[in-house]
Amino acid sequence: MRIFSTDHKVIGLQYALTSLAFLLLGFLMILMIRWHLAWPTQAMPLIGALLGESRTSGGVLLPEFYLQLGAMHGTIMVFLAVVPLAVGAFGNYLVPLMIGAPDMAFPRLNALSYWLYFVAGLVMLAGFFLPGGAAASGWTSYPPLAVIATMGQTAWLVGMFVLVLSSMLNSINMIVTILQLRAPGMTLMRMPFFIWAMLVTSFLLLLAFPPLQAAAVLQLMDRLAGTSFFMPSGLVVSGQIAKSTGGGSPILWQHLFWFLGHPEVYVLILPALGIVAEVIANITRKPIWGYRAMVGAALFMGSMSFLVWAHHMFLTGMGPTMSGFFQITTMIISIPSVIIVTALVLSLSGGSIRFTVPGLFALGFLPMFGLGGLTGLPLGLAVTDIPLHDTYYVVGHFHYIVAPGTLFALFAGIYYWFPKVTGRKMNDLLGRLHFWGSLIGMNGIFLPMFIQGLAGMNRRLYDGGRTYEAFAGFDGSFRGQAWSAVFLGVVQLFFIVNLFWSLKKGARVGNNPWDATTLEWVATSPPAAHNFEGTPTVHRGPYDYSLPGAARDFTPQSER
Amino acid sequence: MIIPYTTDRRADTGVTNVTMGMWLFIASEVMLFGALFSAYALLSVSAIDWPSGRQTLSLPLGAVNTIVLIQVTAIAWHARRSTAIKARRWLMTASAFALAFLGLKSLEYVHEFSAGLRPATNTFLAMYFTLTGLHALHVIAGIAANVWAIAGAARVGEAMMAGRTRALALYWVFVDIVWLIIFGLMYLL
Repeated sequence: MRIFSTDHKVIGLQYALTSLAFLLLGFLMILMIRWHLAWPTQAMPLIGALLGESRTSGGVLLPEFYLQLGAMHGTIMVFLAVVPLAVGAFGNYLVPLMIGAPDMAFPRLNALSYWLYFVAGLVMLAGFFLPGGAAASGWTSYPPLAVIATMGQTAWLVGMFVLVLSSMLNSINMIVTILQLRAPGMTLMRMPFFIWAMLVTSFLLLLAFPPLQAAAVLQLMDRLAGTSFFMPSGLVVSGQIAKSTGGGSPILWQHLFWFLGHPEVYVLILPALGIVAEVIANITRKPIWGYRAMVGAALFMGSMSFLVWAHHMFLTGMGPTMSGFFQITTMIISIPSVIIVTALVLSLSGGSIRFTVPGLFALGFLPMFGLGGLTGLPLGLAVTDIPLHDTYYVVGHFHYIVAPGTLFALFAGIYYWFPKVTGRKMNDLLGRLHFWGSLIGMNGIFLPMFIQGLAGMNRRLYDGGRTYEAFAGFDGSFRGQAWSAVFLGVVQLFFIVNLFWSLKKGARVGNNPWDATTLEWVATSPPAAHNFEGTPTVHRGPYDYSLPGAARDFTPQSER
Repeated sequence: MIIPYTTDRRADTGVTNVTMGMWLFIASEVMLFGALFSAYALLSVSAIDWPSGRQTLSLPLGAVNTIVLIQVTAIAWHARRSTAIKARRWLMTASAFALAFLGLKSLEYVHEFSAGLRPATNTFLAMYFTLTGLHALHVIAGIAANVWAIAGAARVGEAMMAGRTRALALYWVFVDIVWLIIFGLMYLL
């Protein structure tokens, strides 16, 4: 296997390995934060001494390093781990296989987008070794704080600029591949829901990311050329008036950031919903309930997601007219998510469900995502958002969407398609331990956050709010969360061991071990260099399970 | 391996992969410059005083440069209708004009810098340098793409070259339109 390959399968795996490494790194960072919040004055065992004088004092994290960890955890998880895993890895590996194409439409651009992503990640991480450390102004990099921050922020901005280039090339490639390279007979309404999800996701990445790139350029100018796009007049920094011409608007950054930031949420969710749909059809052995409604909902959700961004900004005091508009659009956009999740839940009814490991993760996804979605409703209304916004409630809400939500779906996808990639199945027992352990661990971390948030506990506090009398009594829940995080980390070892062990020793399986219907299962496992022998022809929709009168309980799309 | 619809159009979409890819790229770029123009609008309407571009910048240089850049697009657009050999020559001419545009632009920057006009002087100039700088990057990228197409013309054959030339012509139209907006906003208003 060549490193600079243009084969979509190699590139997909490169995305997978890189993003999983980032996922682990992002998790280790937050593990340190959770430990620190539980025991803010005690030396951190093992690693506290290794981090060095600039980051710790007597084994205790310094406030500056704590902020770097927080900002980089968010950045890594969203931009370098989950999106590349969902779109880069699953998208690149599966889209050509599922639509019957020999490769992506532009194989060389595909390789370029992976390498740009790789470089962007390294540039951002390099911040940790710059004087003053990595970016520390939160994953949202709000100015003026970010403009006056240390050099790590410049690395963050340059990395972000390159990352947007990578994601733009990848999404162009994905859209052209889906629209142009479908095999004969693969009409749009015969595409698996996962492909629809990738199509909408790619449009979101294509159109929502560039404003952040523009914003990154403007912030770079503010930092390097002394301009004042985001710097207000008369800003006082450390007791002195800042050396800027002024007249800029910090709120402008927030608008540009969240114009990306909100569609980004759907970039995180849609591929997950796509994977869950594939797995649920397979484990229930029946067609997805309401496929057309789901496709419509995904398209509506995608277009609507460009009109809701300022619900992240109720606290800026943008006025009741703006708030009113964004509250209405936010309430409207909850409808398509509910349609998709309802369709998936209704798909379960009457099915003879096979509780496979991917099935467990997909089933676990539904209530967890539901919890994350429902707790978001109070945040969509300014009246309830204003007291909740800077608290752990928000952290709990979006982590339920992304961690036991999206990540569970991605794990379901890894267990589900591993046999296609390697020709071997992952170990069942280790997989089950991984699922139940993760479910317990994640809820142990995130459930208390709702209670902490409702009690008014602010997020991002270095000492976990111990200087405030009102926040006394949270020590117990912080410790519970820290132990849950450690437990979650231990449970991931089952997954890591399983991944590498199954690569060599997993049970060998045929081309279609799950008795699935979609096209990728027609190819050999692992698929040959150009996927299919000849071009496959598609004769039916994606989920023809348990057709009356058919010999088996599944009829592949390529069968007449 | 042959990727389908690289050079011939797909019946249900009516385009080749390259054409569709270029349109998507332009859509993405529209969002990039759209965000910058929105930022320009927001910052200028909320400013206490906003300098007049006509008095700050050199209108004659800007106008000449506008004409030069329109030539690039006109020539690239013309190249679409020629054979690979001729298209190569047209693209070379277009690139020469694009280089002339960059030369004039640098001259303008030098004048402005020597007059003490810097990005940090005021937000109008900050926006001017950012927008024209990013636009110049797009011109440089366009020249690089032209050269890449010229170099590959003999190797990839007639059909592929025609597709590339069409895509390049589209790109230059976009670069032109962005410039016209910048010219209107900055030099004329």
